[in-house]
Amino acid sequence: MKLFDYVLSGNCYKIRLLLDFLELSHEKQAVDFFPGREHKSDAFLQINPLGQIPVLEDDGAYIRDAQAILVYLASRYDPTGTWWPINDPSELGRVAQWLAFADSITSTASAARLHDVLGYDLDVAQARAGAHKLFRVLDDHLANQELQGFNWIAGSNPTVADIACFPYVALAGDGGIELFYYPAIQRWIRRFVKLPRFKLMPGINIFD
Amino acid sequence: MKTSELEAGWFPAGLQNYVLPKTAGRVMIFDNDIALWRGEDGKIRAWENRCPHRGMRLSYGIVRGNTLTCLYHGWTYDGAGACAGIPAHPELTPPKTIRAKAYRAADSGGFIWVANPDETTEAPSIEGDWVPNRSVHIDLAPTSLNELIKGMDAELALKITDRAAVVRVPGVTGEILLAFLNMKEHGAMIHTSIPASASVDAAIAVSKLTGRLRQIFKASSAA
Repeated sequence: MKLFDYVLSGNCYKIRLLLDFLELSHEKQAVDFFPGREHKSDAFLQINPLGQIPVLEDDGAYIRDAQAILVYLASRYDPTGTWWPINDPSELGRVAQWLAFADSITSTASAARLHDVLGYDLDVAQARAGAHKLFRVLDDHLANQELQGFNWIAGSNPTVADIACFPYVALAGDGGIELFYYPAIQRWIRRFVKLPRFKLMPGINIFD
Repeated sequence: MKTSELEAGWFPAGLQNYVLPKTAGRVMIFDNDIALWRGEDGKIRAWENRCPHRGMRLSYGIVRGNTLTCLYHGWTYDGAGACAGIPAHPELTPPKTIRAKAYRAADSGGFIWVANPDETTEAPSIEGDWVPNRSVHIDLAPTSLNELIKGMDAELALKITDRAAVVRVPGVTGEILLAFLNMKEHGAMIHTSIPASASVDAAIAVSKLTGRLRQIFKASSAA
């Protein structure tokens, strides 16, 4: 199993987190995302015509899209069946509904970070405003989960939904998005970093 | 020149569970940037959010035991704000003049309260056993406690400070401790606590009522 990886990418970090949580042996191939733009090279476009990372190679096939890779890995390699609860349709629905939400976080909070950190030319005010709208929804949800005794997005245990949302929420400060507006999100981040086999990525400076 | 002085009195800086033991967090009180942290002793501390060394936000710091260590160069401060160690000079006993500026801080009614170091009154003491319920960010600060109470369709039961009151909301069982914190250009936070005896349904109801205040106190241009 091989992950096409960039250390500063939150989307690649999602995959690294689940690979570690599931203790799956794998190799990483570094992609020179910045400044090399290797993900837009002819060679890489053969692997992913969308020119995006991460990509996972497993059993001779390439899988693209961070959320799709999470679903694939958890479905195939999680013996507990809890990260992607494939045998419980109602819980699966509760998890799956946050995957598109996570993608929206990428197109807002992550975009603001690309602007601030890597100098991308985009409408950063719009990106930040979009992130705040989503973060309010997430903070509301997590606060009401806590009041019902649930620590995680979909219930009492962490799932692919938490992994998919975590990186660009935790990195939001790099894009000028304040997290002190969202106390329930901050508590969820603290819980996340305490998960067994959790590892930090550069830019997330929360120490247990 | 900014004085880092707060107005007189005690400010509701957040819910008690905003800062868990052995963690640090950040709060704005008007335009004062403040680091809140708890040691393993559970005691809440509020300091100016800048390391005396290079100005790094202390809210990024690491709590070990009952000390706070700056993330930048590792200068470590004891629970009272005195510098207790500088990693680049391990043999040095730090001069007593190196101190983080400490405000007064206390837990009461499920809230963290912060006041100026020379505040002479004690933090509000609220009768009953309260637990944190909800913190919500709003775009525009209420101009007064009355405006906040009106926005929540609540009735005043007991005024605590100019920024906090015990209220009742028709149709909701039990009292609510309601407060707002003006963060100037950052809008405001609304905090609620409820009686420890409240049911989960009541807790959710109050949380949702609090969340609805976003629609009342929003910038006119906001959708």
